[in-house]
Amino acid sequence: MTAAVTATILKDAQEANSPAEARGLARDEVRLLVTTPSGHEDSRFFELPKILQPGDLLVVNSSKTIAASLPGDGKHGQFILNLSTNFGNGLWLAEPRRDSATPGPLPLRAGDSVRVAGIAVDLVAVHAEIPRLWFVKFNGDALAAADFIGTPIRYGHVAEQFPLDAYQTIFAREPGSAEMPSAARPFFMEVVSALQNAGVELADVVLHTGVSSLEIDDGTDGQPPMYPEPFRVSDHTAWKVNEARRLGRRVSAVGTTVVRALESAWSNGRVTPAHGFTRLFVSPARGVRAVDGLLTGFHERRSTHLAMLNAIGGGTMIRDGYDHAVDGGYLWHEFGDSHLILPPRPN
Amino acid sequence: MTQTALITGGSRGLGRAIATFLAGQGYDLIVTARDPQNLAEARNGLRGFSGRVVALAGDVAHGPHRDSLALAAEELGGLDLLVNNASDMGTTPLPPLAEYSLPRLRQVFESNIVAPLALIQKTLPSLARRNGLVVNISSDAALSGYPGWGAYGASKASLDLISTTLARELGEVGVAVVSVDPGDMRTNMHQAAFPNEDISDRPLPEATLPFWGWLLGQSHNAINGKRYQARAETWEMAT
Repeated sequence: MTAAVTATILKDAQEANSPAEARGLARDEVRLLVTTPSGHEDSRFFELPKILQPGDLLVVNSSKTIAASLPGDGKHGQFILNLSTNFGNGLWLAEPRRDSATPGPLPLRAGDSVRVAGIAVDLVAVHAEIPRLWFVKFNGDALAAADFIGTPIRYGHVAEQFPLDAYQTIFAREPGSAEMPSAARPFFMEVVSALQNAGVELADVVLHTGVSSLEIDDGTDGQPPMYPEPFRVSDHTAWKVNEARRLGRRVSAVGTTVVRALESAWSNGRVTPAHGFTRLFVSPARGVRAVDGLLTGFHERRSTHLAMLNAIGGGTMIRDGYDHAVDGGYLWHEFGDSHLILPPRPN
Repeated sequence: MTQTALITGGSRGLGRAIATFLAGQGYDLIVTARDPQNLAEARNGLRGFSGRVVALAGDVAHGPHRDSLALAAEELGGLDLLVNNASDMGTTPLPPLAEYSLPRLRQVFESNIVAPLALIQKTLPSLARRNGLVVNISSDAALSGYPGWGAYGASKASLDLISTTLARELGEVGVAVVSVDPGDMRTNMHQAAFPNEDISDRPLPEATLPFWGWLLGQSHNAINGKRYQARAETWEMAT
């Protein structure tokens, strides 16, 4: 199922190589594909307030992107270390790479010491299931180093280094994401105001994204290796989601991170306040319980994301939508176009 | 200050994976296991890191051996972490309870219930000095009466209750206690339980490292008294 979608996209999809504003557009002028059971409508992101309905609840991720790519130096020479996830006490999950466009593996061994952004860093252990990722121990403040000397993580499809601001959404408050939670990138305050005037409600969660390593495909049609990500669902947001569901209103996640957070907080038939790490894999087999719709970008290769889309929209609707998007020249990746997936209303 | 951990059953499987993970983070370690040769091999692997390694061979079910472990903890200046990982699986292949040898049952309870509590009692001053964390390794056999797993499961259910009770009792001295079910793993112990089965589909114990990284990064207030599954979809703090 997801394999067919992946193959199509690999062949034909167009990539966004720079942010909308570098392509002569405002952020909210990116294209928006609206996928519903009745078909696929081409629109623009700023039209979103006309597309959603009064009473709809949109849940956004208020995680802020950090400048997670740091320069490293070890006995094998210079490299970059992309921070993925902060485990506390200086322990991070991170991806050592040759450079932004070239992944590893680097000749590293547990017990090696390297310098990263001037800080002594110990190689602790390789991630058993995702061997391109390492647990590393910073003998110093990695977040301060990122603030001071880091750059946003980018991969080969983005040719230029853009400033950290290009990687923030207007909802970003709490630093911690290795890569931008990009689904909310096209939002301007004007769009938010128009949504509120249209009777659409907003709530937020926090989920700090780890590295995606876009050129590598770990995914399979089965259970892929998942690394955990920190998340938090507040009392207020849990209440808003449960209330919306009780009233038969639609809950739409802005981004796959929000789906992961809300579904992780699902317990005994409702969303409960939660704070911790999640390694939940949302697949069609598991299904979704807390969310109805999803506003997201276009996803390549990572069948974990496509599996989540299929869980929300159903395999046929998503496949048709992706065919439409490829044919219509929609742009993929973090700076690309948007996709609103609205399945039939529950019940 | 360098952190110090004591890990029982530290020469193989899960215990060794945790010990190696902590060594990589610069911990001073006390590791113990019954087989001196396995332990010596584990010690040599752990010495490739910056921290000190004290390896003491012996059975945690023996009081004098626990005394020497507690003394080692004192000599290293205190204990930030005690992992009660050593367990006795009991008779294998796993017999039904109706046929279980009672002397063997007592041994299982001695190793899996009395010994971990006794080691906590002995090391409590060292743990209190560092506001330490006690991790008692449990099992899903503690929750569901799997046929054949009665003796082991009953011992782990007891240990779970010891964990939750201690978590409440030790608040005054600043020591936190959690119970962790690591899940099925590709270890000698798991193979012993399923002697004729191919267990190569089970994850290696190293697959639980993200969980240990998370657990040890939490404030003790947020985790004290909780029971975790290392392979669960979420690990949550108290809210």
